[in-house]
Amino acid sequence: MHDRDTQLGGDVLVILRHPPHGSSWLREGLDAALVAAAFGQAVSLLFMGDGVMALAGGQGQGPLGQKGTAPTLDMLAMYDIEALYLESGALSALGLNRDALQLPAQPLEAADIANLIAAHRLVLTF
Amino acid sequence: MILHILNRPPSSSLTYREALASMGPEDRLLLIEDGVLGALPSQVRHFESVTGRLFALREDLAARGLDGHCDAAVQVVDVDGFVQLTEEADKTVSWS
Amino acid sequence: MRYALLVQGPPYSRQAAHSALRFARALLARGHTLESVFFYHDGVYNAARLAAPPQDEPHLVDAWRALHDEHGTRLQVCIAAALRRGLLDEREASRHGKTGHSVEPPFELTGLGQLIDLGLGCDRLVTFSP
Repeated sequence: MHDRDTQLGGDVLVILRHPPHGSSWLREGLDAALVAAAFGQAVSLLFMGDGVMALAGGQGQGPLGQKGTAPTLDMLAMYDIEALYLESGALSALGLNRDALQLPAQPLEAADIANLIAAHRLVLTF
Repeated sequence: MILHILNRPPSSSLTYREALASMGPEDRLLLIEDGVLGALPSQVRHFESVTGRLFALREDLAARGLDGHCDAAVQVVDVDGFVQLTEEADKTVSWS
Repeated sequence: MRYALLVQGPPYSRQAAHSALRFARALLARGHTLESVFFYHDGVYNAARLAAPPQDEPHLVDAWRALHDEHGTRLQVCIAAALRRGLLDEREASRHGKTGHSVEPPFELTGLGQLIDLGLGCDRLVTFSP
């Protein structure tokens, strides 16, 4: 088990609040996370609200061939981004099951989210 | 203490719930831009959990004709006070 | 204190960039340093050199430029976000075979790594999103 799972800390926390495809927020947020990791920072991701849709399985390209973000999720491990969290209420609000997610992420209650934010030097919301 | 900055009104956006869910017991919340609508007496109930730690930006209230119409529970600061809030905070988190 | 701002809102259709500029002036007035304004997402449109708002409206491009001229604030624009939105400096325009350019100094196209550097290196990073 990664010790960050219990300690929640790191250098950069990227909070992803938008679902894939409807805007570039998710994609540009993930880009920021990848760059921070490439620069050697310990990066955590928090999927919040509709942002948990980023983790849903079975995503595809947009109708004009827009890339979407599912392939980027597969790259996270390569960049050593392994501290993945999600807002637990957001999954149930959308009727999503954790088993159906493309990537496992640790569910957090509100108090843990506040701790997670406090435990990172830099917090970026997208 | 972390300063959270919210620019969406609770009347049309649920972003405030994400901001509130992310706040620690000492954290402060500053309403700016359309977010200042949340400072109206009819809306301020949404921010009950951060009573005493709720601020609104005077210039954004004034531009909307709302200066003086805030609920008494809201502390109104000007942009200089906004900077001061960021000085006092360890860091800031923006919600939009 | 050393501040940096992250601007993600476009210059006209949303208030974010105006809020950022107002905050920038206020922090300088309080004696702080503004290291850089980093433009990302639709914030990169703030660097459009051909912006021509009516004379009785705030000219954001000029106002950002004044921050640089008067206070040495760097105006850094994410190159990946900018190129996708048609914002190219002379060098990128020629590299991509375009006849004109839409970004000029003191705005500088730069990598996203600069944002991380600013966020971790400055005392405060404040984000203004649309």
